Amino acid sequence: MKEMKVLLVDDEEEFVRALSERMEMRDVKSDIALNGEEALKSMDEDLPDVMVLDLKMPGIDGMEVLRRAKKAYPGVQIIMLTGHGSEKDEKEARRLGVFEYLQKPVNLEKLMRTITKAYKSKFEDTMSAAAFAEAGEFDTAKEILDRDKKK
Amino acid sequence: MIEHNEKEVAFFGKITAGFTHEIKNILAIIKESSGLLEDILAVTEDEAFPHKDKFKKSLNRILNQIQRGDDITTHLNKFAHSPDHSPTRVDLNEMAEQVIFLAHRLARLKNVDLVASPHDASIMVKTHPVALQMALFLSIEIFLDSITSGGKIILSPRKVRNKHIVRIHHEVAMPDVSHIPPAISSSTRWKSLQEAMAYLGGMVETDGTALEILISLPESIDE
Repeated sequence: MKEMKVLLVDDEEEFVRALSERMEMRDVKSDIALNGEEALKSMDEDLPDVMVLDLKMPGIDGMEVLRRAKKAYPGVQIIMLTGHGSEKDEKEARRLGVFEYLQKPVNLEKLMRTITKAYKSKFEDTMSAAAFAEAGEFDTAKEILDRDKKK
Repeated sequence: MIEHNEKEVAFFGKITAGFTHEIKNILAIIKESSGLLEDILAVTEDEAFPHKDKFKKSLNRILNQIQRGDDITTHLNKFAHSPDHSPTRVDLNEMAEQVIFLAHRLARLKNVDLVASPHDASIMVKTHPVALQMALFLSIEIFLDSITSGGKIILSPRKVRNKHIVRIHHEVAMPDVSHIPPAISSSTRWKSLQEAMAYLGGMVETDGTALEILISLPESIDE
Protein backbone atom coordinates (compact mmCIF):
# COMPACT_ATOMS: atom_id res chain seq x y z
CA MET A 1 0.00 0.00 0.00
CA LYS A 2 1.33 3.47 -0.80
CA GLU A 3 1.90 6.00 1.96
CA MET A 4 -1.43 7.62 2.79
CA LYS A 5 -2.06 11.32 2.47
CA VAL A 6 -4.14 12.89 5.23
CA LEU A 7 -5.58 16.39 5.24
CA LEU A 8 -6.59 17.88 8.60
CA VAL A 9 -9.10 20.72 8.37
CA ASP A 10 -9.92 22.80 11.45
CA ASP A 11 -10.01 26.49 12.29
CA GLU A 12 -8.65 25.75 15.77
CA GLU A 13 -5.00 26.06 14.76
CA GLU A 14 -3.51 24.90 18.06
CA PHE A 15 -5.67 21.78 17.99
CA VAL A 16 -4.86 20.83 14.44
CA ARG A 17 -1.11 21.45 14.83
CA ALA A 18 -0.93 19.33 18.01
CA LEU A 19 -2.95 16.60 16.29
CA SER A 20 -0.68 16.69 13.23
CA GLU A 21 2.44 16.40 15.41
CA ARG A 22 0.99 13.44 17.30
CA MET A 23 0.12 11.71 14.04
CA GLU A 24 3.63 12.34 12.75
CA MET A 25 5.00 10.58 15.85
CA ARG A 26 2.99 7.59 14.63
CA ASP A 27 4.53 7.89 11.16
CA VAL A 28 1.45 9.39 9.55
CA LYS A 29 2.17 12.66 7.81
CA SER A 30 -0.59 15.18 7.32
CA ASP A 31 -1.28 18.51 5.67
CA ILE A 32 -3.24 21.20 7.43
CA ALA A 33 -5.98 23.56 6.24
CA LEU A 34 -7.40 26.17 8.60
CA ASN A 35 -10.70 26.80 6.84
CA GLY A 36 -13.01 25.44 4.15
CA GLU A 37 -11.52 27.51 1.33
CA GLU A 38 -8.00 26.29 2.16
CA ALA A 39 -9.26 22.71 2.32
CA LEU A 40 -10.84 22.84 -1.16
CA LYS A 41 -7.76 24.54 -2.61
CA SER A 42 -5.49 21.97 -1.00
CA MET A 43 -7.60 19.15 -2.50
CA ASP A 44 -7.33 20.66 -5.97
CA GLU A 45 -3.54 20.85 -5.66
CA ASP A 46 -2.75 17.58 -3.90
CA LEU A 47 -5.63 15.16 -3.43
CA PRO A 48 -5.59 13.44 -0.03
CA ASP A 49 -6.72 9.87 0.61
CA VAL A 50 -8.41 10.77 3.88
CA MET A 51 -9.65 14.12 5.14
CA VAL A 52 -10.41 14.82 8.83
CA LEU A 53 -12.86 17.68 8.75
CA ASP A 54 -14.24 20.06 11.39
CA LEU A 55 -17.90 21.01 11.04
CA LYS A 56 -18.24 24.62 12.18
CA MET A 57 -15.74 26.93 10.52
CA PRO A 58 -15.96 30.54 9.41
CA GLY A 59 -16.65 30.93 5.67
CA ILE A 60 -17.31 27.63 3.92
CA ASP A 61 -18.27 25.28 6.74
CA GLY A 62 -17.47 21.58 7.06
CA MET A 63 -20.81 20.38 5.70
CA GLU A 64 -20.34 22.41 2.53
CA VAL A 65 -16.74 21.18 2.15
CA LEU A 66 -18.05 17.62 2.52
CA ARG A 67 -20.73 18.24 -0.10
CA ARG A 68 -18.31 19.78 -2.63
CA ALA A 69 -15.51 17.29 -1.96
CA LYS A 70 -17.78 14.28 -2.41
CA LYS A 71 -19.07 15.72 -5.66
CA ALA A 72 -15.66 16.54 -7.11
CA TYR A 73 -13.63 13.70 -5.57
CA PRO A 74 -15.96 10.86 -4.49
CA GLY A 75 -13.03 8.57 -3.70
CA VAL A 76 -11.70 10.73 -0.88
CA GLN A 77 -12.73 9.34 2.50
CA ILE A 78 -13.91 12.03 4.88
CA ILE A 79 -14.07 11.78 8.66
CA MET A 80 -16.03 14.49 10.43
CA LEU A 81 -14.53 15.47 13.78
CA THR A 82 -16.55 18.06 15.62
CA GLY A 83 -17.29 19.60 18.97
CA HIS A 84 -20.48 21.12 17.58
CA GLY A 85 -22.37 18.18 16.22
CA SER A 86 -26.08 17.62 16.61
CA GLU A 87 -27.97 14.48 15.59
CA LYS A 88 -29.32 16.42 12.62
CA ASP A 89 -25.79 17.30 11.48
CA GLU A 90 -24.68 13.70 11.82
CA LYS A 91 -27.64 12.49 9.77
CA GLU A 92 -26.91 15.02 7.04
CA ALA A 93 -23.18 14.19 7.01
CA ARG A 94 -23.96 10.48 6.66
CA ARG A 95 -26.38 11.23 3.85
CA LEU A 96 -23.61 13.09 2.06
CA GLY A 97 -21.28 10.09 2.38
CA VAL A 98 -19.07 10.83 5.39
CA PHE A 99 -16.97 7.79 6.35
CA GLU A 100 -17.31 8.37 10.09
CA TYR A 101 -18.66 11.04 12.38
CA LEU A 102 -16.66 11.60 15.59
CA GLN A 103 -17.02 13.95 18.54
CA LYS A 104 -14.26 16.10 20.03
CA PRO A 105 -12.29 15.51 22.14
CA VAL A 106 -11.51 12.19 20.50
CA ASN A 107 -9.19 9.45 21.67
CA LEU A 108 -6.22 9.60 19.30
CA GLU A 109 -5.93 5.83 18.94
CA LYS A 110 -9.60 5.72 17.92
CA LEU A 111 -9.02 8.47 15.36
CA MET A 112 -5.93 6.68 14.00
CA ARG A 113 -7.88 3.41 13.70
CA THR A 114 -10.68 5.25 11.86
CA ILE A 115 -8.22 6.95 9.49
CA THR A 116 -6.54 3.61 8.72
CA LYS A 117 -9.91 1.95 8.17
CA ALA A 118 -10.98 4.77 5.85
CA TYR A 119 -7.75 4.52 3.89
CA LYS A 120 -7.99 0.74 3.55
CA SER A 121 -11.56 1.08 2.37
CA LYS A 122 -10.52 3.60 -0.25
CA PHE A 123 -7.52 1.51 -1.28
CA GLU A 124 -9.61 -1.64 -1.63
CA ASP A 125 -12.21 0.21 -3.67
CA THR A 126 -9.52 1.61 -5.96
CA MET A 127 -7.94 -1.82 -6.43
CA SER A 128 -11.22 -3.53 -7.26
CA ALA A 129 -12.22 -0.67 -9.59
CA ALA A 130 -8.88 -1.03 -11.36
CA ALA A 131 -9.44 -4.79 -11.71
CA PHE A 132 -12.88 -4.25 -13.26
CA ALA A 133 -11.53 -1.53 -15.57
CA GLU A 134 -8.74 -3.83 -16.70
CA ALA A 135 -11.36 -6.48 -17.51
CA GLY A 136 -13.23 -3.92 -19.59
CA GLU A 137 -16.11 -3.53 -17.09
CA PHE A 138 -15.92 0.25 -16.95
CA ASP A 139 -19.46 0.77 -15.63
CA THR A 140 -18.78 -1.44 -12.62
CA ALA A 141 -15.47 0.31 -12.02
CA LYS A 142 -17.19 3.68 -12.10
CA GLU A 143 -19.94 2.42 -9.82
CA ILE A 144 -17.37 1.35 -7.21
CA LEU A 145 -15.60 4.70 -7.34
CA ASP A 146 -18.90 6.54 -6.99
CA ARG A 147 -20.11 4.31 -4.17
CA ASP A 148 -18.80 6.45 -1.30
CA LYS A 149 -20.70 9.39 -2.64
CA LYS A 150 -23.94 7.45 -2.50
CA LYS A 151 -23.37 5.95 0.99
CA MET B 1 -48.21 28.15 38.79
CA ILE B 2 -44.90 27.61 37.10
CA GLU B 3 -44.32 30.06 34.28
CA HIS B 4 -43.10 28.20 31.24
CA ASN B 5 -41.64 30.82 29.00
CA GLU B 6 -40.59 28.61 26.14
CA LYS B 7 -38.75 31.34 24.25
CA GLU B 8 -36.64 32.22 27.28
CA VAL B 9 -35.83 28.57 27.95
CA ALA B 10 -34.93 28.04 24.28
CA PHE B 11 -32.67 31.11 24.34
CA PHE B 12 -30.99 29.95 27.53
CA GLY B 13 -30.46 26.51 26.01
CA LYS B 14 -29.08 27.88 22.76
CA ILE B 15 -26.50 30.09 24.47
CA THR B 16 -25.47 27.33 26.89
CA ALA B 17 -25.18 24.76 24.10
CA GLY B 18 -22.99 27.16 22.09
CA PHE B 19 -20.59 27.55 24.99
CA THR B 20 -20.46 23.81 25.68
CA HIS B 21 -19.29 23.37 22.07
CA GLU B 22 -16.54 25.93 22.66
CA ILE B 23 -15.52 24.22 25.89
CA LYS B 24 -15.27 20.95 23.95
CA ASN B 25 -12.89 22.64 21.52
CA ILE B 26 -10.76 23.89 24.41
CA LEU B 27 -10.72 20.43 25.98
CA ALA B 28 -9.69 18.97 22.62
CA ILE B 29 -6.71 21.36 22.42
CA ILE B 30 -5.62 20.55 25.98
CA LYS B 31 -6.10 16.83 25.27
CA GLU B 32 -3.96 16.83 22.12
CA SER B 33 -1.30 19.10 23.65
CA SER B 34 -0.95 16.95 26.77
CA GLY B 35 -1.17 13.86 24.57
CA LEU B 36 1.80 15.17 22.62
CA LEU B 37 3.78 15.53 25.86
CA GLU B 38 2.79 11.96 26.72
CA ASP B 39 4.00 10.77 23.29
CA ILE B 40 7.34 12.54 23.75
CA LEU B 41 7.67 10.99 27.18
CA ALA B 42 6.97 7.54 25.73
CA VAL B 43 9.73 7.80 23.09
CA THR B 44 12.22 9.05 25.69
CA GLU B 45 11.19 6.47 28.29
CA ASP B 46 14.80 5.39 28.94
CA GLU B 47 16.09 8.91 29.42
CA ALA B 48 15.96 10.19 32.97
CA PHE B 49 15.40 13.82 33.79
CA PRO B 50 14.80 15.62 37.11
CA HIS B 51 11.29 15.23 38.55
CA LYS B 52 10.25 12.81 35.80
CA ASP B 53 7.78 11.02 38.10
CA LYS B 54 6.14 14.27 39.12
CA PHE B 55 5.91 15.23 35.47
CA LYS B 56 4.17 11.94 34.61
CA LYS B 57 1.77 12.16 37.57
CA SER B 58 0.86 15.71 36.67
CA LEU B 59 0.25 14.71 33.06
CA ASN B 60 -2.03 11.86 34.16
CA ARG B 61 -3.94 14.26 36.38
CA ILE B 62 -4.48 16.57 33.41
CA LEU B 63 -5.71 13.71 31.20
CA ASN B 64 -8.11 12.47 33.91
CA GLN B 65 -9.53 15.95 34.38
CA ILE B 66 -10.01 16.33 30.63
CA GLN B 67 -12.11 13.16 30.69
CA ARG B 68 -14.09 14.51 33.64
CA GLY B 69 -14.58 17.85 31.89
CA ASP B 70 -15.68 16.08 28.73
CA ASP B 71 -18.28 13.97 30.58
CA ILE B 72 -19.71 17.03 32.31
CA THR B 73 -19.76 19.06 29.08
CA THR B 74 -21.45 16.24 27.17
CA HIS B 75 -24.29 16.05 29.72
CA LEU B 76 -24.58 19.83 29.95
CA ASN B 77 -24.75 19.99 26.16
CA LYS B 78 -27.50 17.38 26.11
CA PHE B 79 -29.40 19.31 28.77
CA ALA B 80 -28.94 22.59 26.88
CA HIS B 81 -30.35 21.00 23.72
CA SER B 82 -33.43 19.75 25.65
CA PRO B 83 -35.65 22.69 24.68
CA ASP B 84 -34.71 22.43 20.97
CA HIS B 85 -37.75 20.28 20.27
CA SER B 86 -40.53 20.39 22.83
CA PRO B 87 -42.64 18.38 23.18
CA THR B 88 -40.66 15.48 21.80
CA ARG B 89 -40.34 11.73 22.27
CA VAL B 90 -37.91 10.75 25.01
CA ASP B 91 -36.85 7.51 26.62
CA LEU B 92 -37.52 7.50 30.38
CA ASN B 93 -34.48 5.26 30.93
CA GLU B 94 -32.24 7.88 29.29
CA MET B 95 -33.93 10.73 31.16
CA ALA B 96 -33.29 9.01 34.49
CA GLU B 97 -29.58 8.55 33.63
CA GLN B 98 -29.31 12.16 32.51
CA VAL B 99 -30.91 13.57 35.69
CA ILE B 100 -28.74 11.36 37.87
CA PHE B 101 -25.71 12.91 36.22
CA LEU B 102 -27.10 16.43 36.67
CA ALA B 103 -27.87 15.83 40.38
CA HIS B 104 -24.66 13.91 41.07
CA ARG B 105 -22.81 16.87 42.61
CA LEU B 106 -25.66 17.71 45.01
CA ALA B 107 -25.95 14.09 46.13
CA ARG B 108 -22.20 13.77 46.63
CA LEU B 109 -22.29 16.66 49.13
CA LYS B 110 -24.52 14.46 51.33
CA ASN B 111 -22.69 11.19 50.58
CA VAL B 112 -25.79 9.87 48.86
CA ASP B 113 -25.52 7.46 45.92
CA LEU B 114 -27.78 8.13 42.96
CA VAL B 115 -28.59 4.99 41.03
CA ALA B 116 -30.63 4.25 37.92
CA SER B 117 -32.54 1.01 37.71
CA PRO B 118 -33.53 1.06 34.03
CA HIS B 119 -36.47 -0.85 32.61
CA ASP B 120 -35.44 -3.77 30.40
CA ALA B 121 -36.73 -1.93 27.32
CA SER B 122 -37.00 1.70 26.25
CA ILE B 123 -40.04 3.55 27.62
CA MET B 124 -40.89 6.22 25.07
CA VAL B 125 -43.16 9.11 25.94
CA LYS B 126 -43.91 12.34 24.13
CA THR B 127 -43.37 15.12 26.65
CA HIS B 128 -41.55 18.35 27.51
CA PRO B 129 -37.97 17.21 28.26
CA VAL B 130 -36.96 20.27 30.33
CA ALA B 131 -40.01 20.05 32.62
CA LEU B 132 -39.58 16.28 33.00
CA GLN B 133 -35.93 16.67 34.00
CA MET B 134 -36.98 19.39 36.44
CA ALA B 135 -39.60 17.09 37.99
CA LEU B 136 -37.10 14.26 38.43
CA PHE B 137 -34.50 16.66 39.79
CA LEU B 138 -37.04 18.10 42.29
CA SER B 139 -37.87 14.57 43.46
CA ILE B 140 -34.20 13.93 44.18
CA GLU B 141 -33.91 17.30 45.94
CA ILE B 142 -36.90 16.49 48.16
CA PHE B 143 -35.11 13.41 49.44
CA LEU B 144 -31.77 15.18 49.76
CA ASP B 145 -33.40 17.93 51.85
CA SER B 146 -34.48 15.35 54.43
CA ILE B 147 -31.31 13.26 54.47
CA THR B 148 -28.56 14.04 56.96
CA SER B 149 -25.98 11.89 55.22
CA GLY B 150 -25.62 8.61 53.33
CA GLY B 151 -28.06 6.18 51.76
CA LYS B 152 -29.15 5.63 48.20
CA ILE B 153 -31.74 7.21 45.89
CA ILE B 154 -32.90 4.93 43.10
CA LEU B 155 -34.71 6.06 39.95
CA SER B 156 -36.67 3.24 38.36
CA PRO B 157 -38.55 3.92 35.12
CA ARG B 158 -41.22 1.30 34.50
CA LYS B 159 -44.08 0.58 32.16
CA VAL B 160 -46.93 -1.11 34.00
CA ARG B 161 -50.17 -1.82 32.17
CA ASN B 162 -49.78 1.13 29.77
CA LYS B 163 -48.76 3.42 32.62
CA HIS B 164 -45.46 5.23 32.23
CA ILE B 165 -43.93 5.57 35.64
CA VAL B 166 -40.73 6.69 37.32
CA ARG B 167 -40.38 5.48 40.89
CA ILE B 168 -37.97 7.52 42.96
CA HIS B 169 -37.08 5.56 46.02
CA HIS B 170 -34.93 6.42 49.01
CA GLU B 171 -33.15 3.37 50.35
CA VAL B 172 -31.71 3.66 53.82
CA ALA B 173 -29.39 0.92 55.02
CA MET B 174 -29.98 1.47 58.75
CA PRO B 175 -33.08 3.57 59.47
CA ASP B 176 -32.40 5.86 62.41
CA VAL B 177 -35.66 6.27 64.33
CA SER B 178 -34.35 9.33 66.12
CA HIS B 179 -34.02 11.10 62.79
CA ILE B 180 -37.20 10.17 60.96
CA PRO B 181 -37.49 12.66 58.09
CA PRO B 182 -40.77 14.53 57.61
CA ALA B 183 -43.29 13.19 55.11
CA ILE B 184 -42.46 14.09 51.51
CA SER B 185 -45.68 16.02 50.99
CA SER B 186 -44.67 18.55 53.66
CA SER B 187 -41.59 19.50 51.65
CA THR B 188 -41.49 23.04 50.26
CA ARG B 189 -40.55 21.58 46.87
CA TRP B 190 -43.58 19.29 46.76
CA LYS B 191 -45.83 22.05 45.38
CA SER B 192 -43.34 22.81 42.59
CA LEU B 193 -43.20 19.11 41.74
CA GLN B 194 -47.00 18.91 41.60
CA GLU B 195 -47.10 21.96 39.30
CA ALA B 196 -44.45 20.50 37.01
CA MET B 197 -46.36 17.23 36.77
CA ALA B 198 -49.63 19.05 36.07
CA TYR B 199 -47.88 20.88 33.22
CA LEU B 200 -46.73 17.50 31.88
CA GLY B 201 -50.26 16.14 32.08
CA GLY B 202 -49.16 13.57 34.64
CA MET B 203 -49.40 12.87 38.34
CA VAL B 204 -47.18 12.62 41.37
CA GLU B 205 -47.96 10.46 44.36
CA THR B 206 -46.32 9.45 47.60
CA ASP B 207 -47.18 6.54 49.81
CA GLY B 208 -47.19 8.78 52.87
CA THR B 209 -43.74 7.74 54.05
CA ALA B 210 -40.55 9.63 53.39
CA LEU B 211 -39.26 6.89 51.14
CA GLU B 212 -41.07 6.92 47.81
CA ILE B 213 -42.27 9.26 45.08
CA LEU B 214 -44.19 7.92 42.11
CA ILE B 215 -44.36 9.97 38.94
CA SER B 216 -46.67 8.90 36.14
CA LEU B 217 -46.81 10.36 32.65
CA PRO B 218 -49.18 10.05 29.72
CA GLU B 219 -47.74 8.29 26.67
CA SER B 220 -48.20 11.57 24.82
CA ILE B 221 -48.69 15.04 26.25
CA ASP B 222 -51.10 15.66 23.34
CA GLU B 223 -53.53 13.09 24.74
